Amino acid sequence: MKVGYSYLAKQFADPDVILADIKALVLSGDFTLGKATVEFEDKFAKLIGCNYAIGVNSGTDALFLSLKALGIGVGDEVITTTNTFVATVGAIETSGARTVFVDCNDKYVMDTSQLESAITDKTKAIMPVHYAGQPVNMKEVMAVAKKYNLEVIEDACCAIGASFDNQNCGTIGATGAFSLHPLKNLNVWGDGGVITTNSKEIRDKLHLLRNHGMVDRDHYAEYAYNSRLDSLQAIVGNHLISDVEWITQQRIKHAQTLDLAFKGLSQVITIPPKAVNEKCVYHMYMLLVENRDALNEYLKSKGISSKIHYPIPLHLQQASQHLGYKLGDFPVAESQAKNIITLPVHQHLTADEINYMIETVNEFYL
Amino acid sequence: MKVPYVDIAEQFFEIEDQVMLAIQKVLSSGKYILSEQVSLFEKNFREFCQCKYSFGVANGTDALIIAMKALEIQRGDEVITPANSWVSSTSSIAICGATPVFADIGNDLQISVQEIEKKITSKTKAIMPVHLAGKMANMKAIMALAEKHHLFVIEDAAQAVGASYEGQAAGTIGDIGCFSLHPLKNLNAAGDAGVITTNNKALAQKITLLRQHGLASRNDIQQWGYNSRLDEIQAAILNCKFVGLPEVLEKRHANAELYRSLLCSEVVLPDKSIVGHDANHLFVIQCKYRDELKEYLKTYDISSAIHYEVPIHLQPAAHYLGYKPGDLPETELSALRILSLPIHQHLTKAQILFVAEKVNEFFKMKGL
Repeated sequence: MKVGYSYLAKQFADPDVILADIKALVLSGDFTLGKATVEFEDKFAKLIGCNYAIGVNSGTDALFLSLKALGIGVGDEVITTTNTFVATVGAIETSGARTVFVDCNDKYVMDTSQLESAITDKTKAIMPVHYAGQPVNMKEVMAVAKKYNLEVIEDACCAIGASFDNQNCGTIGATGAFSLHPLKNLNVWGDGGVITTNSKEIRDKLHLLRNHGMVDRDHYAEYAYNSRLDSLQAIVGNHLISDVEWITQQRIKHAQTLDLAFKGLSQVITIPPKAVNEKCVYHMYMLLVENRDALNEYLKSKGISSKIHYPIPLHLQQASQHLGYKLGDFPVAESQAKNIITLPVHQHLTADEINYMIETVNEFYL
Repeated sequence: MKVPYVDIAEQFFEIEDQVMLAIQKVLSSGKYILSEQVSLFEKNFREFCQCKYSFGVANGTDALIIAMKALEIQRGDEVITPANSWVSSTSSIAICGATPVFADIGNDLQISVQEIEKKITSKTKAIMPVHLAGKMANMKAIMALAEKHHLFVIEDAAQAVGASYEGQAAGTIGDIGCFSLHPLKNLNAAGDAGVITTNNKALAQKITLLRQHGLASRNDIQQWGYNSRLDEIQAAILNCKFVGLPEVLEKRHANAELYRSLLCSEVVLPDKSIVGHDANHLFVIQCKYRDELKEYLKTYDISSAIHYEVPIHLQPAAHYLGYKPGDLPETELSALRILSLPIHQHLTKAQILFVAEKVNEFFKMKGL
């Protein structure tokens, strides 16, 4: 049996409705910030429960433009975690600001108790990452931000539908950055991203930043970027967005099945702790396991697409050299990088596939 | 008779079946990011331009930003560019932290090489000519000047797919060429898209990193970068459109020639002094009473456009650079005289005759 990580080829068993809309779009020529994009932005804001959603070219751009909208750049510091996808730090560094890392906790997200000691007089913002769909403790992030007068940009790229204390990720900080990359819980057929905010001022600024700083065709208020969610991709998003609730439920259900099955292997598998006030949406299902590399190889040999997110934490990457970190600086993240493994958890998994995964993992540790 | 300025719908109507088939193919492949279609497009584009490397990116603006970053142009550097352009040429310089320095244009509406030379300082790092309207800048003289002063040349070829200079394609003469494939361009996607060209291997490696998070491989981050990728779906559409590109260029050329043979002498025609091919992205005439002419044409349902009304050095965004009216007299004068007549490939001969007739009629009425 094969258990694939990417489900995209089966996601659209019957894509004719979407293709019909795309055909109409292609014949209308309404490609750039058109009707479909506006419709998607409205639907997304409603789904997340915020005042405004701004469609952009990618999740990376959503983070980058959030920083720019808040005036963060050269000379500023932004605090984030080292165990995240490269784009979090890429956005901070390409904005001109400097990245300051803190370690993560046993839920693979920001250890908020380390925030205060990371703050300097240059700190401008905290960028908590709701990594893998697991919300950061936003109560503590917001408390520190308030105390030190810092901006909060939520990296919610993996976290559509996740919540902390019943507040949706992406609605708690100044902005939330979401990715619509093909492998995300809500995806389009290429790169896409969304920024959420409750502030009209930030929305207006983002409208300028994503579209050349244009006030109208002939007037540019500032030098800016081109980062727009294509109408074509928005059409795909408009069709899929009504499935988000189902997708989330499926992923949570699959994660619970896996959690329960692996409980008996507690000597070799550590399942992250759960909290009732934290809704994890399982963009990724990650475990800490003994003998990780061998398990990973074994699963692959059995047709199961497991993955490692990621074997090298960002502070130890070549790109981070100028930041001056070294091995040993973030022991939790460094240790997790050696033991972490991601199993398929997507909404199209069948009960047979899940059972096969469980059996295969058990077989390995027999 | 209605003469629209653009007809995007018509462009897709002709090849609707192929485009839909291409989209379906990408869809069922499940591969939407940097896969077969982008590779094929990059190959098609390389062959079309006769260059060594090409990279599909998210849009023409990103192409320029990535070019600037690849050349490590930054705070403290100056880049010389014209002020009669779409804003992205200048904004790509400014947002990299460098200072845009504007040089005035000549009669051909292209950046003047004499003016560039006057603006060179010890801080100048690069020249960014813009092949505005699909018409080549004077690349021979610009390259000579760049060589003399050890400057990089970034060609803003956003409007110049299909243009060439003494047999060399736009975007392949300087260090890096930057193209837009926006829906309004000669070669166009169904959304934002762009492409970068270069013949330099070291630059090609940097561009590879910059467009995708600095990733040398999945787990090896060499430098911090961007996410700026041409979508597979857009690449598939572009691959369909590539087939018709020579015909698009021919039709636009024929339309331009027809205008040239018809328009009265009060109209200054687009310059033809550059040796090479004009991609005829726009057909920009210059004349007196421009605004009145535009209104007059509008009453006959003829759409025209101005590229661009306010020169970049006089925009609010440029305020911090300290330019004032009078600093670039030729650019400012041209902004009052330029008018882009419809030239797209779907115009009929009758439509062009009608436009020319109305332009000529207007000037007869004016008693000129």
